[in-house]
Amino acid sequence: MLRSLGSLICLWALRLPVPPADTGVVARGVDVASYRERVRAMFYHAYEHYLESAFPYDELRPLTCDGQDTWGSFSLTLIDALDTLLILGNVSEFQRVISVLQEGVDFDIDVNASVFETNIRVVGGLLSAHLLSKKGGMEVEVGWPCSGPLLRMAEEAARKLLPAFQTPTGMPYGTVNLLHGVNPGETPVTCTAGIGTFIVEFATLSHLTGDPVFEDVARKALKALWKNRSDIGLVGNHIDVITAKWVAQDAGIGAGVDSYFEYLVKGAILLQDEELMSMFLEYNKAIKNYTKFDDWYLWVQMYKGTVSMPVFQSLEAYWPGLQSLIGDVDNAMRTFLNYYTVWKQFGGLPEFYNIPQGYTVDKREGYPLRPELVESAMYLYRATRDPTLLELGRDVVESIEKISKVDCGFATIKDLRDHRLDNRMESFFLAETVKYLYLLFDPDNFIHNDGSVFDVVVTPYGECVLNAGGYVFNTEAHPIDPAALHCCRKRKEEQWEVEDLIREFYSPKQNKKFASKRASDHSEGESAEDCEGASSEKGGEKRHSKKSSHSLLTCPSQSFNSKLAVLGQVFLDNT
Amino acid sequence: MSLCSGGGSGSGSGSAAAPRLRPRAALMARRPELLCGAAIVLGCAFLVALKVTCSRAKDVTMPAKLPVNFFSARSPVIDLFRGQLDYADHLRQDSEIVLYFFYAPWCGQSIAAREEIEHVASRLSDQVLFVAVNCWWNQGKCRKQKHFFYFPVIHLYHRSFGPIEYKGPMSAVYIEKFVRRVMTPLLYISSRSKLLDFLSNYEPGVLGYFEFNASPQPPGYLTFFTSALHSLKKDYLGTIRFGVITDKHVAEEISLVHSGSVYLHRHANTSLIYPNDIMNYTAENICKWALENREMLIRWLRPHGGKSLLLNNELKKGPALLIFIPYNPLAEIHPLLDEITKVALEYHNCNKSQAAEPDVQHLGDTDSPAFDSSVPDAHMKLSETFSITKYPCCNTVVLPQWHSISRTHNVCELCINQTLGVKPNKVHVPHCNFLEIEAALDSFYLQEHAFFQVISNTIECSNFLSFYSPFSYYTACCRTVNRHFLSFISSEKTIFQTPKVAFSSHGKKDNTQHSIPHIEDRNCFIPDLHISGTNFTGLSCRTNKTLNLYLLDSNLFWIYAERLGASRSTHLKEFAAIVDLKEEVHYVLDQNQSLVGSTLENFIKNFSVLYSPLKRHLVDDPSVYFQQQRVITEVTTNTFQDTVVLSEKNVLLLYYAQWCGFCASLNHIFIQLARLLPPDNFTVARIDTTRNDLPWEFMTDRLPTILFFPHQRKEQSVKFPEDLAVNVPNLLKFILHHSSLSSSEPCTKECLHKGTVLQQGHISHLEREIQKLRSEISALHQAHKQLEVQLSEARREERRLQQQKHTLEKQHKTLQLHSEQLQTTYDQKNQELLEMAEKLQELADASENLLKANALLRILVASREGKLQSKDETKESLQSEQTISEDNDISVSIATATLEEKRIDNTIETEHSSENRTE
Repeated sequence: MLRSLGSLICLWALRLPVPPADTGVVARGVDVASYRERVRAMFYHAYEHYLESAFPYDELRPLTCDGQDTWGSFSLTLIDALDTLLILGNVSEFQRVISVLQEGVDFDIDVNASVFETNIRVVGGLLSAHLLSKKGGMEVEVGWPCSGPLLRMAEEAARKLLPAFQTPTGMPYGTVNLLHGVNPGETPVTCTAGIGTFIVEFATLSHLTGDPVFEDVARKALKALWKNRSDIGLVGNHIDVITAKWVAQDAGIGAGVDSYFEYLVKGAILLQDEELMSMFLEYNKAIKNYTKFDDWYLWVQMYKGTVSMPVFQSLEAYWPGLQSLIGDVDNAMRTFLNYYTVWKQFGGLPEFYNIPQGYTVDKREGYPLRPELVESAMYLYRATRDPTLLELGRDVVESIEKISKVDCGFATIKDLRDHRLDNRMESFFLAETVKYLYLLFDPDNFIHNDGSVFDVVVTPYGECVLNAGGYVFNTEAHPIDPAALHCCRKRKEEQWEVEDLIREFYSPKQNKKFASKRASDHSEGESAEDCEGASSEKGGEKRHSKKSSHSLLTCPSQSFNSKLAVLGQVFLDNT
Repeated sequence: MSLCSGGGSGSGSGSAAAPRLRPRAALMARRPELLCGAAIVLGCAFLVALKVTCSRAKDVTMPAKLPVNFFSARSPVIDLFRGQLDYADHLRQDSEIVLYFFYAPWCGQSIAAREEIEHVASRLSDQVLFVAVNCWWNQGKCRKQKHFFYFPVIHLYHRSFGPIEYKGPMSAVYIEKFVRRVMTPLLYISSRSKLLDFLSNYEPGVLGYFEFNASPQPPGYLTFFTSALHSLKKDYLGTIRFGVITDKHVAEEISLVHSGSVYLHRHANTSLIYPNDIMNYTAENICKWALENREMLIRWLRPHGGKSLLLNNELKKGPALLIFIPYNPLAEIHPLLDEITKVALEYHNCNKSQAAEPDVQHLGDTDSPAFDSSVPDAHMKLSETFSITKYPCCNTVVLPQWHSISRTHNVCELCINQTLGVKPNKVHVPHCNFLEIEAALDSFYLQEHAFFQVISNTIECSNFLSFYSPFSYYTACCRTVNRHFLSFISSEKTIFQTPKVAFSSHGKKDNTQHSIPHIEDRNCFIPDLHISGTNFTGLSCRTNKTLNLYLLDSNLFWIYAERLGASRSTHLKEFAAIVDLKEEVHYVLDQNQSLVGSTLENFIKNFSVLYSPLKRHLVDDPSVYFQQQRVITEVTTNTFQDTVVLSEKNVLLLYYAQWCGFCASLNHIFIQLARLLPPDNFTVARIDTTRNDLPWEFMTDRLPTILFFPHQRKEQSVKFPEDLAVNVPNLLKFILHHSSLSSSEPCTKECLHKGTVLQQGHISHLEREIQKLRSEISALHQAHKQLEVQLSEARREERRLQQQKHTLEKQHKTLQLHSEQLQTTYDQKNQELLEMAEKLQELADASENLLKANALLRILVASREGKLQSKDETKESLQSEQTISEDNDISVSIATATLEEKRIDNTIETEHSSENRTE
């Protein structure tokens, strides 16, 4: 009794500064620090075995302890895990890997690569490593962040993808040969996400390099999808990029579509772009109308809106995280809690989960250690600090360690019903799952920077404020610093204007002139003047509010009941 | 294709062997070349499997690891980690009480609960059998038979009755409490004092009276017993307690006469007797009846952690008072809880408030524990102090000099507690015990901001508590009057308890003794000024702001308190808050006051009065620390006034939230802005609205919002237009436009001074700017150098390329020449061939002619021969020999000519075809 009492108090003490004096019956929170270390150990177990047994292949095969190429041949796991190393604080290994990559990776290869996967994993990974390289203690060249070896590699990789965009509609092919461009006879059918998941990486590339071609093709593809949405405002799963006919007409938020919606929001945030946001909000309305039932999101026919598949897909679990980014925290939490029950049932999320039957769907019982649920937990924990989210993190760590840890790494779960393992460890396990888990348990990580610290970098284009937080994760969890986008080209245009304005701040003459002009206009005197100024301002505001209620690039404030919406409690809107 | 299919057998022996084999198989899989060699040694069964592995590595899969012990071997919990449910059922026969802990080895919640279960098991293992069953392993019986949606699941069996699922918190004390309840679902009440204990409890109680003299199991007893177990199924805490009265006389106290009758005790409403005639006497019905009719004056809220609408449903009923107290379910006594219950009872005590005479009962302390030893003394003292007041109103007594509102001294306050409960005579209630000096201090503290309002000017007689009880033949009222008196003048704290004594007698209310508030105060008591205000008793029925009262265990749910503004640093985890969901406000009981009945009463009263003195509580973010001077000032609820409203500078305030993507991506713009603006006149600040509440007038409903508070006109804050892009030039223009209005007074010395200050500011700014430019220039230089290097490299490259181009061109030219030459030779050859062909044609023609001539010659010769034959015979022989030789010559030459012709045709054809190929 006494022994366990002591341990109880100890555990509690980690969460609260003062151990309760009266009883030992306090509830135990999740011990964040110890789980953080366990996640770190998980990472190194997998990472070191990859380097030992699988490098330079794309992926580790954990059951046979060897490697294989899966999405090309660019040591994908290494590129993907690069920024995770930095987030874990391993600067020296980060630097070593960068030098390895600079020598070893070649994109002039005769390989058919997925345009989508190459973009999110390779281009995204290289871009984020480039932007973080200063933080990682790398010696950067003078033009950084507007130039650098990793940026050039990313650009090179992205250029290899550009031929895929040369279609009548502007929507890209799904596969491209890195050496010869689109193969003759390539299928024109591409999934929606494969068309709309470029803006984050490509816009970043365009802003950093100054070449607008990347952002242009990405925007053109997005607009083509927008134009081809159904009358009720939904998009299907697969489309023919030549004829713009929908081939698969299932509409939902999961596989095949997911990151399209994600990138509309993240693009809007990254580029402060109202157009992208208005697209998303329209979709969001349709999705709520047609696919949402009891905080689950189902699959419906894109033209009629009738339910076609009452399933929840593991990939859909990103949605609550996305909702929290735009301030819809209540709904996010409600949906998240639904998804969490599925995890509790199986120790993982099956690719498909039949909601009415409460069980897995045939042939879709696997769980390849996907990150989406943890990703949402991380975002929501930022917003709510709800201990339930830490509990999910705890459950994920325990499950993955108990179920899928093998001598050589972590194996994909082939079947969640009996926890049979498959000989695969996808690169997103190290890039995303581990990263989000670590960030969930490390609230003080530099990634969570709220703007209280920042770096100032002098570039030939002027002075830049960087690393001020607000990192936008691409869909493979590679963080992009939004401040960097404003550093390279835009600055110049602004600079002279800012210079002029600042001069006005310091010139008393200017002030007087301004004031006297006003005084001469209104002989009433100062007070009247002030009133006038204020009222006209107010009038202006009113007019504005009539016109449009608010800017699209804003979140609603959290409601009062959000104070109590923790530990599984949800509130219904009365409105 | 299974990597180690040998290990997958479900039998006990097979699974025992498998774990030894598996690691080796995995090891071999890592080195396939080793593996194939080893396979021969291992035998043919493995050989087949491993060969498959070698040849088709793509399909390698591995079955789940075999289950291992979940509990340690020394644990008192029997661990059936292979899911042997049948064995588990078998075990159940051995023990009266069994607890099953169904777990999944991968489940975090199971792992967390494991320790708690072990803890409980170590305490109860002699009475309860603890069985843990792995209900995940797919070869196990449990997995095959049960289908759980979550883990762990705890089932309890009381003999054959069960399963009773435990749905409470996974905390050892709660589990133990529940197990104990299952062990003894009924309390046996053999004496009057036990009865009183039972009835005075805040939780609803159901009592059955059974006559055990006739038989060891009187009729209906078993049903009653089962209904007690049933209630545990419904409600994990068993908030309805079940008791059995075994003594006839005790039963008469609550007017139960017949064995087998069931009684539901209620405090505020009439107690009920189970209607045997209307409802069938079954366990379910009794349980249902009790649940439907029980009193819910104050309710425990225990969110289970999953998605639930509990708080939503409860708080939407109206404003709610949430009381957080640390609760140990195993503790024998809960003094604080009892006190709160009393407050709740009184609050809801509506129907017989004014009418009843205040019967006061002096309650001694005979069977209460020793914690209250000081009370009798207090009684003694106080018994001499009955005096003065003619009003029986005694809830609140205001001490003199109050009207002078000199708060610093001479303000004395009395807080009065009233104890309620069913109190038959001679039974003593241990409720007069919270006489703490702290309480008195708190009372005084409370007075500062609450007292003033609570006391309205109406002189109203208080509704005395006269507690109605089912004891029909006597009325017992109990009140304990606690007075905390504080005299500052004498710097002497005196605390009084005035347990006015109401002794109840059988039959009727013959006790007319009034309960009088007694103020013993040598310094400052003037009775006329005594104003008794809003009475607390029955307040819930008189106010239109009725509160629902809830309890939360702060050991489990302190997070709610923290989010409502409870300080994180307090030792004592006690907290009370009134939450009004509809109005979106909440009020907090000052945490400096200890949570006692009196402070709660005042808190409720203050909420209920028309012009409530309570102030909306604004939650503040305590985690903001001011280390060094930040570029952007972080504002909190507490610092808002100072840094924004009262500040001498122009303030640009950003409302943000960390989770809002649109806010976070603006960080760098605001940092830039803050670095540009002259720091002497401008503050760039921001406030995290998720963690900091602000007065209504400063709230915004969208994030990010940017407000500008111009210097000297802070009330005229201006909002940055939402349709403008948020960037540095726009923000600067916005600030410039709105801040320039301020300095329009005629230029005085001050103004000139200002001008110089400004200029100095400008100079320093320019200096900074120059520094910046210098660093920029150096950066440019570096970039320039780099560019030059790159340029020269590029030039070199260009030169190299040009050279390459030259050589290539040369090569090209030679190649062209070559091809021309080839063309000409080809033409020549062609010509020659044509000529050859012509010649051959001629030759052919000639040979033909020759043939013709030959034929003619032959004819000629023949004719000549014919002519000559007749002429001379001797000469003929010589001549004929000559012609034959000639003839032979000619025919040979013709043959060769035709052959040659054919060969040439052939070569021409082959040349044609080769030409085609090269083209």
